Amino acid sequence: MAEYKVRFDPNTEPVVVKSGTLIIEAAKQAGLDILQPCGGQGRCGRCIVQVMDGTVRHRSSLRLSKEDIQAGYALACQSIIESDILVRIPEQDKIERRLMSDRTALEIEIPPGYSPEYKQSLRRFSIQLSPPSYEDQTDDLTRLKKEITLKLGYRNIFIPLGLINKISQALRLGNWNVTIFLHIGELDDRMKYVQLVDILPGIIAEEDPLWGAAIDIGTTTVTLWLVDLMTGKVHAQVAEYNDQIRRGEDVISRIIYADKNGGLTELQQLVLGTINELMETACKRVKFHRVKPEDVYKVSVAGNTTMMHLFLGVPANNIRLSPFIPSFNQAPIIYAKEIGLKTHPFAIVDCLPGVASYVGADITAGVLSAGVDLADQLTLFLDVGTNGEMVLGSKEWLVTCACSAGPAFEGAGVQSGMRATTGAIEEVWINSNTYEPTYRVIGGGKPRGICGSGLISLLAEMFITGLIDKAGNLNPSLPTNRVREGEHGLEYVVVWAVEAYSGEDIVFTRVDVDNLLRAKAAIYAGFLVLAQSVGVPLESTEQVLIGGSFGKYLNIEKSIQIGLLPDLPWERFRFLGNTAVKGAYYALLDKHSRKRLDEIASKMTYIELSADNSFYEAFMSALFLPHTDLSKFPSVEKAMKSIQYSETI
Amino acid sequence: MPVEIPKDKWPGSVRTVTIGALPKDGGTRKCTVTVGGETTMPFLHYEGEIPNRPVVAIEIMDRQPDDWSPLLAEAWKDVMDDPAKWAVAAEQAGADLLVLELSLNNRNGEPTTPDEAVSAVKSVLAASGLPLIVFGPGQAEADNALLVPISEATKGERIVLGICEDKNYRTIVATAMANDHLVSARTAMDVNLAKQLNILISDMGLPLDRILMDPTTGALGYGIEYGFSVMERLRLAALQGDKMTQLPMIVTPGYEAWKIKESKVGEGVPETWGDWLNRAINWETLTAITLLESGADVLVLRHPESVKRVKRAIDELMSAKELV
Amino acid sequence: MALSGIQIYKLLPQTNCKECGFPTCLAFAMKLAAKQVELSSCPYVSEASKAQLEESAAPPIRLITLKSNGYEVKVGNEVVLYRHEKTFYNKSGLFVKLHTSQIENALIEETRRINQYQVNYVGMDLEVDGIAVEDDTHDPAKMKAAVTAIRSVSKKPLILISSAVDVLEAGLSQLSGETPLVCCANSTNWEKFAELAGKYKAILAIESDKIDEFVELTEKIKSKGIEDLVLIPNGKNLGHNLILQTQIRRAAIKANLRALGYPTLAFCSSPVEAAQAITKYAGFVVLDEFAAELIYSLLVLRQNIYTDPQKPIQVQPGLYEINNPKENDPVLVTTNFSITYFSVANEVEGSGLPAWLLVADAEGMSVLTAWAAGKFDADRIAKAVKSTNVTDKLSKHLLILPGSVAVLSGEVEAELPDWEIRVGPREAVDIPKFYKLALQVN
Repeated sequence: MAEYKVRFDPNTEPVVVKSGTLIIEAAKQAGLDILQPCGGQGRCGRCIVQVMDGTVRHRSSLRLSKEDIQAGYALACQSIIESDILVRIPEQDKIERRLMSDRTALEIEIPPGYSPEYKQSLRRFSIQLSPPSYEDQTDDLTRLKKEITLKLGYRNIFIPLGLINKISQALRLGNWNVTIFLHIGELDDRMKYVQLVDILPGIIAEEDPLWGAAIDIGTTTVTLWLVDLMTGKVHAQVAEYNDQIRRGEDVISRIIYADKNGGLTELQQLVLGTINELMETACKRVKFHRVKPEDVYKVSVAGNTTMMHLFLGVPANNIRLSPFIPSFNQAPIIYAKEIGLKTHPFAIVDCLPGVASYVGADITAGVLSAGVDLADQLTLFLDVGTNGEMVLGSKEWLVTCACSAGPAFEGAGVQSGMRATTGAIEEVWINSNTYEPTYRVIGGGKPRGICGSGLISLLAEMFITGLIDKAGNLNPSLPTNRVREGEHGLEYVVVWAVEAYSGEDIVFTRVDVDNLLRAKAAIYAGFLVLAQSVGVPLESTEQVLIGGSFGKYLNIEKSIQIGLLPDLPWERFRFLGNTAVKGAYYALLDKHSRKRLDEIASKMTYIELSADNSFYEAFMSALFLPHTDLSKFPSVEKAMKSIQYSETI
Repeated sequence: MPVEIPKDKWPGSVRTVTIGALPKDGGTRKCTVTVGGETTMPFLHYEGEIPNRPVVAIEIMDRQPDDWSPLLAEAWKDVMDDPAKWAVAAEQAGADLLVLELSLNNRNGEPTTPDEAVSAVKSVLAASGLPLIVFGPGQAEADNALLVPISEATKGERIVLGICEDKNYRTIVATAMANDHLVSARTAMDVNLAKQLNILISDMGLPLDRILMDPTTGALGYGIEYGFSVMERLRLAALQGDKMTQLPMIVTPGYEAWKIKESKVGEGVPETWGDWLNRAINWETLTAITLLESGADVLVLRHPESVKRVKRAIDELMSAKELV
Repeated sequence: MALSGIQIYKLLPQTNCKECGFPTCLAFAMKLAAKQVELSSCPYVSEASKAQLEESAAPPIRLITLKSNGYEVKVGNEVVLYRHEKTFYNKSGLFVKLHTSQIENALIEETRRINQYQVNYVGMDLEVDGIAVEDDTHDPAKMKAAVTAIRSVSKKPLILISSAVDVLEAGLSQLSGETPLVCCANSTNWEKFAELAGKYKAILAIESDKIDEFVELTEKIKSKGIEDLVLIPNGKNLGHNLILQTQIRRAAIKANLRALGYPTLAFCSSPVEAAQAITKYAGFVVLDEFAAELIYSLLVLRQNIYTDPQKPIQVQPGLYEINNPKENDPVLVTTNFSITYFSVANEVEGSGLPAWLLVADAEGMSVLTAWAAGKFDADRIAKAVKSTNVTDKLSKHLLILPGSVAVLSGEVEAELPDWEIRVGPREAVDIPKFYKLALQVN
């Protein structure tokens, strides 16, 4: 039998192997440790190496693109040595990055060409007034208005009572030099109006920051960005759990709670408490400036329709009752003090427009920041939280729907589920021969539970390795003690008690599988119904944009394997992070973006999923791994075949 | 003036499934039943082939049933307490094959034992040469406990073992594979569920030509429209080439129609319901005909008169081949 | 051919003006495609688009309306071959045949029975649609007398059957102001029949067993100005009829062949024939005789087949018995969404444990969805308990709520003071365990 010489770079001492040897075996012989979390099945791509010289035969190249193969990349566990070769082992962190590159958080760029003069609706002007005299007996208010009209050209000026009593003092303290804060609104294309937001004595330097805040009120998490409206720069990004959680985890329980005596006010106060605290925190985070919440003059708020109702203290009960009509999709602009928001009392609070009871301003803002409404290509936009909201379309049309996926992807409703925080298992690999799992824990310590991405990963691995069948039934006759009869029927032990933080087994039960299956089926069914509603095949989607905090951690491959995401080439998927707060940020900065948001809200066609059977049909066919129609998931079919192949070798 | 009538030409066809094995093939049956093979929607002979006629099975039990309508008891009289005699009577009544359903409890109210079940099956096989379908009592544990020994004791007979359901199919499929039998896969009135179960079963390695699918249909007035449309959709999918739906369909209009008030109850019902016996037979027949016309290949009936009527209808529907 | 939502959208102004009552032009277009709204709701649609949209909306099978004083039977307007593709719209008209040879008293008695027949099926009162009178005496006077006799006790629409024009005319003369149906025209008598139908504004039925002949006849008769036609495919047996009915329906829908774009009529001499006629495309079903048990089963079949399959799949609300429950067994409550029902029913059935399953009308939604939408609350649960009289059937009053609506237990207790309310598991799969642990049942 032929023998070949194998050299490794950076370890250059050659080893001699027999023909038919895998690179990974040669590496072991050379004393090198190449990570292979999937147990050498050619599935995880972690054992990637580069063959610099010589030839190998690829048993499986599932993880590699054509370009990769041309460049000599090979999976060490899948490549059979067929000549003398030189193999380079890339540094491990580079591999991590290679696999994770699309998962890094996006930095917030200031929209190009931002200038407060042309884009900002909240303006600060320092003006000088001529002092009154025995000759000039004009009252202070008229004097101020006249000056605004004369110097700035604005005619319809509204001044709230709370500011009128501030004017005289400011004028005199500043020796008739004052700085005014105006919100410039448009009644229609031609008619403008201005609202006085504040008046301060003296002159403020042009370069001094002017503070605004973009807020996304999520059912679970509230996010706030503190922004200097003069430069557009985001100075602080903070997020905290929505304090309303203690009164119910999902929107429906909140609506029902709000319907009880005093419930509405309580929920409003809870979310305001969260926001006000975030505002304090954000102000403290700002470097080089001393900022107080009272210095914030403008707030743009995104959030789902229920959150918006509760934020404004409007009863939300009709949102849950058929035919699901909210009190408003677009609230009027209000002053902060009307609801008790701890900013400047007359700060402009702009609640962004929504579309329907279950497609709110978080989604329109998401569409804005993701640019779906300007796209030439057919685009699918997805925001996964407790609800899965999605938008399909391009610059020509937009259709949207919401499906209740349940909280499984947020780690709730699953026995060992948890949020994506320290101690959560975020990725799992299962060896297809031993059924032993390897996993990665956020923060690196002992695992406490499994978060959404970990659950997806676990489900995909259990499916691919045959621990569960396509219907999610655990197979009891496999040679492993990890599958056992538990409280809810069969379960799989992911972590034995001794390795777990709590000292108890971390298990994945049949009920958990069902909950996850339902969640993923609801989302995929949503895609399908949207596509069907406009008669386009789902496969023709040219880009998939994923928003929501969850999106950041989503593993595309695993998500496709379980049939959560459509089986499209990986490069069509992009993660955008929290698109809602980003959209609110754009709307906060730029009045043109704000207008575009109105257009988006008016253009989006809402598809009510409970109106007919098509959702139910799509849901039932998606309630399978990956799908009842396997031809919709060719890559998964291929992956399964290749595993069967590698098992038979 | 000739008119061009649009014809559907389908790429797919229903699989052919043979139930029962002759002595030369390792069984003891005097005949076999072959169903499936259609390349068209039901009875549209002008569009495609219908090589095998749909068949009628008569449902018998391993002992006198507790809850059957008195009308059925009257029809079968004293054979009902002896599965062997009942099998012979069913054969005489025109059955193409037999369905033997096992009771959960025996005569004494104790769980039916594997031995009792095996001996009931053997007595039926000895009494009648017709191919056989055996249904367990319909509870996962009991089904598995009874069907495995039956399967082993009748190796090679190509019996159809039922009922495979999505939560309980592994044991039955495994024993059918090991002992050269077939299985019946039952799902709840849904195209996707039916297809999913077929995938699960075939993933275990049982060839598709050893599976019948039972889409569950409901009786006339009790959801038959869902069954009707699910079957039409399954058959259309099969003809369009979807492999996992290309299985012959078995339906149980006898069971469906005889469990409902219209058939079970003779007194205290509205006068507008008409004559009890005629109504009950009508109910079973109409349920069967509706399912026959949406694609049923095996119809499991209970009353001999319904068997007669359904068989006559099948004759007429099949003979139309000569008329076009 | 019918246009899709997006195709229609392209013909609309795309201004999202909302004046039609829909939030966007696309939403309106989708409603148009589903035929749930009239194009006239859009004030800004162009004339060219209008013409295009109206043409695509024309039904491939003509709508035929039989009328009498106070009654109407509409058939036709169908657009699909298989009901799941959309729905079957106009239920087959169910008629019972009488004969001119019957003596007057018998005729009146029979008519009265047919006329009075009414049966309740899931809350709906179902009736026979009308009466067919067949001439078996070849005597115009008898026909006239028969029609008069029938009209003395029934106002339901009539079908007159004869091969003789003068017999038919004798009947028609008694039916002024009505739109009855006359049959049967064929290749030899069609001209006279067309003339008669024209004179009395009756609907004309043509009989044949050849598709080509139908096409020839409908075109000839149409050229005489008679457009309200019905086809009677008179095959040699059940199988032949199925093929003829299918070919006519398919030619009309798939090939848009106007000459066959008419509803059909089937004369049925057995329950099996009638059942096939209802499922396979007959617009009118004429039965040889009246028998309550047959009429009941056919009315139910017709109701089933013509149910809109696009509506969410529901099970009938009510009380279901699983594993022969006794008077001291628990009542499990769930909703009438089919999947919810089946998962609970299957779980209980498979476990062998006896239970009363109380299915509340939650408009076909699952437990959580229905609860969220206010369709599954204490009020509805109490209503389900009361409407099924389950209280009277049982000695022990134990009601188990789905675990996911545990929050309702207090309110349900208040609504049903005689009942013990327990919260069951969230998942159906845990019901057997719940029985064992919480209810101590094995």
